[in-house]
Amino acid sequence: MAELSDKPVVASRETMMTPEWQRWLIRVRAYFWKEVNEIRRQPLLILSLIVGPLLVLILFGSTYVNSNPRVRTAVVLPEEGIPGLEEEQLRQVIGLNFDLRLITRNEAEAEALLAAGAIDLIQVLPDNIFQTMRGGVSPEIAFTANVINPLVEGWVQYLAYAQVNEINRALLVVTTARAQEEAAGIRVRVVDFEGKILEFEQGISEARKEAAEQDLKTFIDFLDELNRILPPQEVLAQHSDELAQLRPILTRVRISLRDVRRALLDETLTEGLLELTNTRNDLQLLSGTLEIFVNIAPDRLVSPVKLSYRNLRGSAYSAVVYYSPGVLALLVQHTAITLGALALVRERLMGAFEVFRVAPVSLHQLIIGKYLGYIVFIGLATLALIIAMLVIGVPLLGNWLQFAGLTLLLIIASLGVGFLISTLSGSDSQAIQLAMISLLLSIFFSGFFISVESFAPVALPVVYAIPMSHGLAGFQYLMLRGLPPSLGSWLGLSLISIITFGLVVIITRRQLLRA
Amino acid sequence: MTAASKQLAIHAEGVEVDFGNGVGIFDQTYSVPEGTILGMIGPSGCGKTTTCRVALGLLTPQRGTITTLGRTPNRFTAGDRERIGYIPQQFVLYPRLSVAENISFVASLYGMSTRQIKVRMDELLAFVDLTEARDRLGQNLSGGMQRRLMLVGALMHDPALLFADEPTAGIDPVLRQRFWEYFRRLRDEGRTLVVTTQIVSEAIYCDYVAVMRQGRILAVDTPMGLRRRVLGGEIIDLTLEDPENIGRALATLRRWHDVVKSVRVAPNSEADLHVVVEDAREYLPEVLNRLENQRPRIVVASAAPLDVSYDDIFIRLMEEAQAPQEADHG
Repeated sequence: MAELSDKPVVASRETMMTPEWQRWLIRVRAYFWKEVNEIRRQPLLILSLIVGPLLVLILFGSTYVNSNPRVRTAVVLPEEGIPGLEEEQLRQVIGLNFDLRLITRNEAEAEALLAAGAIDLIQVLPDNIFQTMRGGVSPEIAFTANVINPLVEGWVQYLAYAQVNEINRALLVVTTARAQEEAAGIRVRVVDFEGKILEFEQGISEARKEAAEQDLKTFIDFLDELNRILPPQEVLAQHSDELAQLRPILTRVRISLRDVRRALLDETLTEGLLELTNTRNDLQLLSGTLEIFVNIAPDRLVSPVKLSYRNLRGSAYSAVVYYSPGVLALLVQHTAITLGALALVRERLMGAFEVFRVAPVSLHQLIIGKYLGYIVFIGLATLALIIAMLVIGVPLLGNWLQFAGLTLLLIIASLGVGFLISTLSGSDSQAIQLAMISLLLSIFFSGFFISVESFAPVALPVVYAIPMSHGLAGFQYLMLRGLPPSLGSWLGLSLISIITFGLVVIITRRQLLRA
Repeated sequence: MTAASKQLAIHAEGVEVDFGNGVGIFDQTYSVPEGTILGMIGPSGCGKTTTCRVALGLLTPQRGTITTLGRTPNRFTAGDRERIGYIPQQFVLYPRLSVAENISFVASLYGMSTRQIKVRMDELLAFVDLTEARDRLGQNLSGGMQRRLMLVGALMHDPALLFADEPTAGIDPVLRQRFWEYFRRLRDEGRTLVVTTQIVSEAIYCDYVAVMRQGRILAVDTPMGLRRRVLGGEIIDLTLEDPENIGRALATLRRWHDVVKSVRVAPNSEADLHVVVEDAREYLPEVLNRLENQRPRIVVASAAPLDVSYDDIFIRLMEEAQAPQEADHG
């Protein structure tokens, strides 16, 4: 070992002549540079904080396909199938909403697959569907699911409802087309029967009477059949006023013709000439209305209302862009909370608080210096991430200054939460654990994936206590809508910042006194 | 304590901090003159650190009064704190900061500007022989280097009073010696040092030694004063050529009571005598003359001042302190 230096180790008094205000700043700067130097010595940490979230975002954006769950489905058909509905049509209709894996006529086979978890849903289609409908009973499609995710169950119920509507519409189209076909034939008979009524008006010989009565009976049967096959009154009425009159006219004609038939049998036909004329006029009206009915496309008849959609912004953003503000808010908050959570507990445990108490340094210098150090680091990390986001096409439509202000406030609020965790933790691992819990809370309650409106009012205090909730809403407004953040976002972050700062100061003061 | 002409850096009277169950410090009265080294020696848990913490203002005594650099510690101003340096028992070292950054951090807490830090750091790194390691990270330093780094940190702001809590614990004897060289050098330049240690032999490096046990200061004195207090003086170890003369030798020396404080046969020996005098080196020739002038002559085969270790002195002090307690309990 070298000999002791001869130089005195007494510092010159000149070194201690720095003004007090400057010394105050120097002490704050001491904590600032210590934090900055400690962080910059951890390149992997920096890399994981900036590059990690960006890579996750890109991976998510490039692989995200659909937000709807894919429900693996088997369809059990009746033995005779569904008349008028080909298997391919069925596959298309059901495949719109469900991942159709199997079409079978063996229900037991489908149930075995469902029980084994190979599929999530069975749809059992009813047999004799049209007969059942004609019998005035609604045929039923039985859905049986085997799902554990409550969100997926909600989707299954909604999609089942949508599918049944779609099938109902398809059936209505089929039945309407059939009705139109038959109505076209009956219309020819109506025109023909107008001539017969004219003949009745002119008088019928005894020899023609029996044949006329038979014609009348046959025609009434046709009209009864027409009445049966016509679409429901609501379907006709929703299309036009003319079609709304189809059933009333038909009913009137059927009643009139029954009266005519009775008069023919009673031989009182000549006394009801005016009735006959009215009936003929009604037949003309019926013929005209039927012409309208048979010439309308069945689709238009069943679904007269068409959908028109326009997005003011052209189209919604891609998933990667839409979730970018959330990822940014999550990154800022999580980085700040994690670093903050370790900041005080580590120094408390290593005994640094004792050194701080002996030194002429105040609690406020300690706290402010640490805040500044982390703000600068997280600010730079955020800037790098924003640049990377802009490069991959994430817009920032709003005001840059407001964006910078909101980011700063989010960092301060999140650091406050982190420091608070640090003051309450008894060890590093406990601090990390609490930071992870805050991350979990943020993912569920900040509106990142699940809308804030989905929660009961009792959860709202939790929602508002999370800095990310306000940061996310503000970032979405600024980046994607080009609007300033709401007053609530500013106030929420400000309140969290003030409250956590106050608590951190109070608790740390106590801990320093115990050091 | 002597050195009454000097100003007192620390003065404590009847200081007590009771943590309960007999733990704490009790009835401590001591003074540390400026420009001296006070060594606090005692077993682990005897209250050395607590004594320092009270003097630093980290703990407020429940009884008694204490002034450090002329002020009650719990009323220290920032200016007072700038005159005090502290090396805590627990390492406070940031492993991801370099030696220079660690030092800069601590110096900045004392308000030193960047230029001041640079000048001072160069001096002190040279002083503790750490210049070559200034850019090395804290996590890559050996235990001895870490200790030296902490010393530099504590000296950066040039404190008038330095507290070092067990600075030599767990380091090799060569570095330990080196540390005491540093401390004596600092003392020589006018600083006051309070150094705690469990290593009794380090008492020799101190100007004053406070021996502590169970929160109480058993004795405060110079190392030599402690020796005298325990032994009653210094010891001359004599070996007689003829063990048959042991009785005559004892009688001869006991008659000379203005010089010889006591004399006894050395433990486990038949020809060795332990003669207690005020100053062994001064009185050794006279003791030899006195024995050889007897008729018939008492021949001394060998004679030398007996170097009683401070460990023995410490043990005796402990035993003396324990004896009344055992008597009370017995």
